[in-house]
Amino acid sequence: MDLSRRRFLQAAVLTAAAAGATAACGGGSGSSGAKDSKNLTLWYWAGGLSDKVVADAKTHFSDISLKTSVVGGDFKTKLLTGLRAAQSAPDITGVKGEDIASFLPNADRFVDLKTVGADKLAPQYLSWKLKQATTKDGKLIGFPIDIGPCATFYREDLFARAGLPTDPAQVSAQLSTWDDYFKAGVELHKAVPKTYLINNIGSVFSMMIGQGTQRFIDEDGTFIGDQDHIRTAWTTAVKPYTLGIDAKINDNTWNAAISGGTLGTEIGAAWHALDISNAAPGTKGKWRVASLPGGPSNLGGSFLAIPATSGNPEEAFKIISWILSPENQARGFTDAALFPTAPAAYKLPALTAGDAFFGGQKTIEIFGPAAEKIPSAYEAPADAAVSAPYYSELTSIEAKGKDPEEAWKNAVSQAKQIAQRQGVK
Amino acid sequence: MSSSPVAGPAPSGPASGSGTGPTGSPASDRDHGPGRRAPQIRPVSAGSRRGPRRRVARYWPQYLAISPYYVIFTVFMLFPVLYTVFLAFQKWDGIGDMHFVGFQQFRFLWDDPVFWLSVRNTLVIWVLSTVPMLCMALVLAVLVNSTKRLTAFYRVALFIPSITSLVAIAIFFGAVFSNNFGLINAVLRALHLSAVPWMSNEWTIKLVISALMTWQWTGYNAIIYLAGLQAIPSELYEAARVDGAGPVRIFRSITVPLLRPIILFTVVISTVTGMQSFTEPQVLFGSEAATNPNSGGPGQAGLTTLLYFYHQAFDNNDFGYGAAIVWAFFLFILLIVVVNWRLVQRKEPRP
Repeated sequence: MDLSRRRFLQAAVLTAAAAGATAACGGGSGSSGAKDSKNLTLWYWAGGLSDKVVADAKTHFSDISLKTSVVGGDFKTKLLTGLRAAQSAPDITGVKGEDIASFLPNADRFVDLKTVGADKLAPQYLSWKLKQATTKDGKLIGFPIDIGPCATFYREDLFARAGLPTDPAQVSAQLSTWDDYFKAGVELHKAVPKTYLINNIGSVFSMMIGQGTQRFIDEDGTFIGDQDHIRTAWTTAVKPYTLGIDAKINDNTWNAAISGGTLGTEIGAAWHALDISNAAPGTKGKWRVASLPGGPSNLGGSFLAIPATSGNPEEAFKIISWILSPENQARGFTDAALFPTAPAAYKLPALTAGDAFFGGQKTIEIFGPAAEKIPSAYEAPADAAVSAPYYSELTSIEAKGKDPEEAWKNAVSQAKQIAQRQGVK
Repeated sequence: MSSSPVAGPAPSGPASGSGTGPTGSPASDRDHGPGRRAPQIRPVSAGSRRGPRRRVARYWPQYLAISPYYVIFTVFMLFPVLYTVFLAFQKWDGIGDMHFVGFQQFRFLWDDPVFWLSVRNTLVIWVLSTVPMLCMALVLAVLVNSTKRLTAFYRVALFIPSITSLVAIAIFFGAVFSNNFGLINAVLRALHLSAVPWMSNEWTIKLVISALMTWQWTGYNAIIYLAGLQAIPSELYEAARVDGAGPVRIFRSITVPLLRPIILFTVVISTVTGMQSFTEPQVLFGSEAATNPNSGGPGQAGLTTLLYFYHQAFDNNDFGYGAAIVWAFFLFILLIVVVNWRLVQRKEPRP
């Protein structure tokens, strides 16, 4: 077939026009009609909810057909795409704790849970966590699945070799400030030279930010990442590096470091216990949990939300409140290490039982009080973006031996630039 | 390789079209629709000659047969590409309202030290991978071309790395080069040498990424060279041998000059793919920290431009800035390709 250039172009243009028309029609019929659908979909990520509780929810709500999908990969991007093309949005969706702030400016994309009964249940849940999902004008867009109260995980056997206290209560008392903690780290490293105190200095920085009542942007939308509270967190974070008790692990060798005894302590959220026991099953019984130096902090913890396009918001919220009832949260704790957001659950046997990995310690005695005392700080939508340079520069100190003072200046100037681009004053 | 991050916005793109509002997008598209379509159809139907139309009608099965590619290309490639041009001038968080900001994103880009760091990283990684890759590919191709036995086996063996999943390779390399527990450091320690912090030093990070890319694409280029080598008439070699030329002389005076178009092709292709390195650093250093994902590893030494784009667009929800990054970088790649083209072409043998 001889295809002249002109004919080829004509064909190409025609197909392009056809494709354009198809694309234009794509978003046309987004609005779903009735709000009492009996078919609901639920999106979450692997480990985001207890699979057993979700399976039970399907049988519990027998008049509703609940279809659940465990969405892999970049969950937030897929959710964003789903929300834009309204038809593909789920009726109930998980939202990760680190993403919730960026969804608040678009709260109209979600159902205000207070309109479907969340206000009655709210007092049973941790108020600081609910606040994270509340807009300035009081709309609640997410119901909390779990939280990440932080603590110090430590190796009892290594502490004993270094002559440090081994009992969790004593460790909590003696290592109550960051300086005490670092001092213990120096002794530990002296006694067991291959053991370091912390994974990397970024972890100290993020813990300290979580201990404060202010983050990088204040409620008026002003950049405050160059002020004293951040500066203090920075100088404290750099200390273990200068003391030589920083393992400088910024790659995927963390698993091996945990199982090989390179790390004597690990600061992290309650869900981190699962990471440690998965990475180092051989160290079972040697780990203990003590309070975090400098007070409670939170890392992570997710939400369930109802997109505004949901086919049946009322029924959807019934499912959410059932999945997140204190009893089911307690099951989620044993099943998927999801730390409950309803303090009532802390008294249930699932949480008060001793944990064999931690030598039978009742870890709830550390995490429970911490969870209720976590300070509440305003988290701006651009907070994650603005904080990124600080973490990058902290790794620069560890990787290139960059001067901490210069790294601080670079971090602040980059953060300012990002803040300006994100529309922060 | 790069299509995964670039295709990211594709499914969401068409839904809004060129709409400016969050809800009114379909209407604004429909305003455009007929207006655009009419002039395209009119020349065909209103033209005095009836030929073209009949031809289109007569060959419709053929046009239909080739149309899926064009439809898919338009919806998933061309449209998103054009859409990013539009996005580069907007401030957009993915679901909220778009705000036109003019050239502001590009001005930020110009002042952004991390963008320039990522460009430098990309260039270093590209040079460290492309140069040894093409040299080794050429040598391998000559070796395979000279053997008489097992040639099919060699060809398959050479091609396997390029069809292996990049993520799998990256995980494997991560294990081999791991600082404390990697294979290479274990061997070094067994030989009583000091271990190298492969995954945390500024330069060795780039070296690891380059080694990964070299390993993956050397065989692919060797196969292309092999095809080129077999097109060289054997009389030339025979004549050279009769004249007493050794293998090195033959390689330099016959093989390389006659392969020049092929080398040119591989240089351009390697430039384009090498500049788009994304998956390698993403898997090696991607999301080790929940607080700062996709930052390119310690000291951001593995932060390539496409990884930076991904970080801005999909971690920070700054889609306008992401679009500005990729467009600035596209122009940059274009420049590099032109420079390369000129450099390689200048090796014209003087008569």
